[in-house]
Amino acid sequence: MRRRKSFKQRIYSVIHGIVLAVACLVVIVPLGYLIINSIKLPREFLTIPPTILPTEVTFEHYQDLIDDKKTVRYFQNSLTVAVWTTGVTILTGTLAAYGLARMRLSAKILALVTFIFLFIRFYPRVTTVIPFFLVMRQFDLLDTVWAIIIGQLGITIPFVTWLMLVVFQDLPSEIEEAAVVDGASVWQRFSRVVLPIVMPSVSAAAILTAFLSWNEFLIASSVARRKASVLSIAVASFVSDKGIQWGPMAAMSVVMIVPMIVFALFAQKYLIRGITFGAVKG
Amino acid sequence: MLKKPATWHRRHDVPWLIAFVLPAFFIVVAVQFYPLAYSAVLAAQEWTLTKSQEPEGFVGLDNFVEELGDETFRRSVRNSVLITGGAVILEMILGVCLAYLTMGSSWRMRAVRTLLILPMVIAPVAAGTLWRILLNYRAGLVNHLLGLIGVQGPEWLASPDWALVSVILLDTWQWTPFVLLVAGAAIASIPGDLLEVAAIDGASRWKTFLYIELPLLTPLLLLTLVFRMLESLLSLDSIYSLTFGGPGYSTYTMTFYIYTQGLRNFNFGAAAASSWIFMAFASVSIALVFWFQRKDW
Repeated sequence: MRRRKSFKQRIYSVIHGIVLAVACLVVIVPLGYLIINSIKLPREFLTIPPTILPTEVTFEHYQDLIDDKKTVRYFQNSLTVAVWTTGVTILTGTLAAYGLARMRLSAKILALVTFIFLFIRFYPRVTTVIPFFLVMRQFDLLDTVWAIIIGQLGITIPFVTWLMLVVFQDLPSEIEEAAVVDGASVWQRFSRVVLPIVMPSVSAAAILTAFLSWNEFLIASSVARRKASVLSIAVASFVSDKGIQWGPMAAMSVVMIVPMIVFALFAQKYLIRGITFGAVKG
Repeated sequence: MLKKPATWHRRHDVPWLIAFVLPAFFIVVAVQFYPLAYSAVLAAQEWTLTKSQEPEGFVGLDNFVEELGDETFRRSVRNSVLITGGAVILEMILGVCLAYLTMGSSWRMRAVRTLLILPMVIAPVAAGTLWRILLNYRAGLVNHLLGLIGVQGPEWLASPDWALVSVILLDTWQWTPFVLLVAGAAIASIPGDLLEVAAIDGASRWKTFLYIELPLLTPLLLLTLVFRMLESLLSLDSIYSLTFGGPGYSTYTMTFYIYTQGLRNFNFGAAAASSWIFMAFASVSIALVFWFQRKDW
């Protein structure tokens, strides 16, 4: 028979529910408000009191974004950058992590390598942004997607290498020993034995890289402000350059946010593992 | 003569393994370490791009002296301390509380957790824009809601003090989920029998938390705190789109100040010098993270 909850317990669970409901509202309401703003008529933006729920729905802000060749190009640039950054990062980062993991480095050297990864993850990146700008200027790469891709690789490759290094280190060595006895080369062991096993972690790393690249602003805004501009710059530029255009600003933000929310809903485990990596193991 | 296969393979492997590491190594050196060294050189140069295409000569520590005495620089340091301090404290408290409240593996708790982490995956630039809309004095939702309960909302983004509060609010909204996730994982890893023993001994829930769980969680919470502190100090995007440092210089942070010095005023020497002052502080914090991660508590 189920025990009946005491009065105190019931009060507790009511408060518990209320607090969680409030927390959820604090997340949902702003996001919902953004979406509502993106489908609101322009004239309803500055009415007093503000129109919370619009009387009429309009998709004109989205239509404007599609009609504007610039916005379409920003979107394409963002995609190009994310795809290239993710591809190159996974390829070189996974290989490097395997190399480091199998080199039988001494504990001291491994500690040093970890420190370097940690340093790259957390030093004030704004320090290297200006020299990087100057280097790109020298190579005549300013305002190209390549400058953004190269800059982002400097962040994502160490991150993925670090993430995968832990994965490879945790792999039991028996898995490869049989292949060694059979005379398989390093490359064969890596590509045929190890890689299939760690594929879930590689996907996690890929999702994380795409996420970092899509949301990245600092590097993109420092080397590509005009024709190679990406969505993150476009969203930010509503503030300084154009006064305030509420509708387009909201619509553009929605376009930027939605893919990542879909990512978060469908690949939550992977994304979380990446974002909290370094703080939580595994 | 026969060699031991394992040793043979190991030696034979090394060139391959090095070749595996090289591409990543070169990219990181070229994109991270070379610019870092270059920046150290710039810090000792006089160079404003709008005045000259080439560096205007070696000035030693002049840039550092100048920056340390600069009023905007000092104000940025103060703002950074206020914003990061305020936001990180709020995030730690709220995050740990929410982690406790969302424990469990029922579908309802899992759904709540999924929902609560959403702010974290939003691009910080877009989050800034979103809150800019919400905090608008006249037409924003926040002041409208405050109005419903009879409170006249402040001019969030137009008043120097409230603008700082706005930045703290945004950081807290976006990054409390991070603390929730990390603390949640830590709490879940506390052995259950430990808590049962405490309950049998008649310890209250609060005492159990204070004397058993909190000491176990402390190392990870400290690590999380430094993590959040660094990320918050280094963030540029959200301030850029929420306040753009304004009104005036009232929400200039270290990162924002260095960014504008370098890429708006093109005063490379000053930007490099102030970023190295910032770097000195960050390095200590990074060393702290490293130490926390390796230490056996």
